[in-house]
Amino acid sequence: MRAVVCLKQVVDPLTPATELALDRAAKKMKPAAAGPPVINGYDEQALEAALRLRESLGQLEIVALSLGERFHLDVMKRSLAVGADQLVLVQDPSLDTPDSHRVATALAAAIRKIGAVDLVLCGRQASDWDNAIVPLLLAELLGMPCLTLARRVSVQGARVEIDRVLPDGSQTMWSELPAVVTVTSELGALRMPTARARLATARIQPKLLTLADLGVAAAEPPQVEVRDLSIPVAGRECRFVEAADGAAAGRRLAEILMEAGVVRPEGAR
Amino acid sequence: MAGILIHSAVEQGELRAEFWELVTVARQLAPSVGGGLRVALAGSQLGDALEQARRAGAAEVRVLEHAQLADPWPEGHFEALAALCGRLDPEVVLVPRTPLGAEVAARLAIRRGASLVHDVTHVQKGADGITATRPVFGGAVSATVQARRGPWVIVPRPHAFAAAAPADGEASPVVREAFAPATPPRTFCGARTRQGSSGAKDIEKARVLVSGGAGLGGPEPFRLLGEVAELLGGAVAASRVAVDAGWVPTSLQVGLTGRSVAPDLYLAVGISGATHHLAGCSSAQVIAVVNSDPAAPFFRLANYGVVGDWKEVIPAFRDALKEKLATSRVA
Repeated sequence: MRAVVCLKQVVDPLTPATELALDRAAKKMKPAAAGPPVINGYDEQALEAALRLRESLGQLEIVALSLGERFHLDVMKRSLAVGADQLVLVQDPSLDTPDSHRVATALAAAIRKIGAVDLVLCGRQASDWDNAIVPLLLAELLGMPCLTLARRVSVQGARVEIDRVLPDGSQTMWSELPAVVTVTSELGALRMPTARARLATARIQPKLLTLADLGVAAAEPPQVEVRDLSIPVAGRECRFVEAADGAAAGRRLAEILMEAGVVRPEGAR
Repeated sequence: MAGILIHSAVEQGELRAEFWELVTVARQLAPSVGGGLRVALAGSQLGDALEQARRAGAAEVRVLEHAQLADPWPEGHFEALAALCGRLDPEVVLVPRTPLGAEVAARLAIRRGASLVHDVTHVQKGADGITATRPVFGGAVSATVQARRGPWVIVPRPHAFAAAAPADGEASPVVREAFAPATPPRTFCGARTRQGSSGAKDIEKARVLVSGGAGLGGPEPFRLLGEVAELLGGAVAASRVAVDAGWVPTSLQVGLTGRSVAPDLYLAVGISGATHHLAGCSSAQVIAVVNSDPAAPFFRLANYGVVGDWKEVIPAFRDALKEKLATSRVA
């Protein structure tokens, strides 16, 4: 059985806002000066789902797949160090885009090229544009059903079953394979690679593909265009509570909130 | 292709608060879209929600009521809405940004070849189609996006638009629709588990939220936050880290992938303020932050800040509140 896990390289969402920089002419984020990019957190959790699935099934070939303009190989090869069998990278300047159709078309072509794929795992959304539409588009293009927001993924025979996270709990859902499944953070973090695995994968090279290899035509204008990006200024000024120690600060905060009318006696009833 | 259609799924007979925010967006867009407003309500038992939705001033309310729509089953809700859109051919469909709504919107945009404009905080229609503003990169960056070609599926960000008041005049007429999916279903729902309902208040409705994060280090301190919340007549919330670690149930999560909240007071304890968290609470009236790291990004969004160890600050805060609230009640 073969699973593809789609990984997106993104600006580290923990980058402080003060260190983010925009290329306003290109309408893109500049690579963060503060540190390397990361694999989108939800995509890492999708990889963790694949690794757990391999443990429960005893056998599963895991192909990590990513698209982009430029890859940070150390970051992407982490997928191999934790246990992916292969890393496939599709490189093209047009793939650094929030255009979901472009991304889904290229992913679908790459998945067809990989071939005989039973399960496609994706993160529930990317931490940069948060559209959560690529997995659904991908499923449509591949003619597969799509199950979303999985906190648990299991496979029995030709069926994939998930626990889907809901605002007030969860629900079991299933479909026939092949299928696309999106994974949510409640599944748990991606395991750490061992030092030995890290060393062993240092020499493995990813398989590089171009859009021409995949037969994907030049980009059409996106349905939703980005006209401008800007960094909004934080709208509040923080009044810091000055006090001798933590306890005094806590008491003082209570006073300040009552004086400001933020905390009112009737609020307690 | 004409008109605006608001879609909302109903659970347990309750109309979602976002419904009235979508009505605001619809009223803003109505002059430039034309063709009037319709509402589609979906669920298994619409109950009171139907009567409330009839006050939105829509030309009609289409009812998609079926036992199979009892669950937040994306494919089923989507098929029901897609069939209706096939008949009505609306120019703009408005869907709330709930886990179900967001997926129904995406599926609908794919089926209809419509432009999906997601998570908008401002939207207008002109000669060049729909132009909208939306936060990206967890709210650190604001993007202006344009979708020239209709139809459009628009997902407004919760709390970005004020709730509309019900319209005067007659209640909208109701038209019942059959549930007739175009294709046999490919995804299926099984057992549903509800968690954390025992006494946990709905964080979207609480006027005061006391929220905890990674800095608390475990589930135990949430009991202390609960005591403070109770004194303030509020509820306990949490950051994603606390939920992913299993300290508290998902229903308490504030943030991009959790709930969006807009309480009068948001007291954040041990939360650094990652952008995906701030995205869910930046609409709070007043934000107070307790964190031991003076460089925590949350302070930039706070009205009041305490740099200190919550283990010292919060018990003293609780005791002072208890004392002051008791005195003012006597007085």
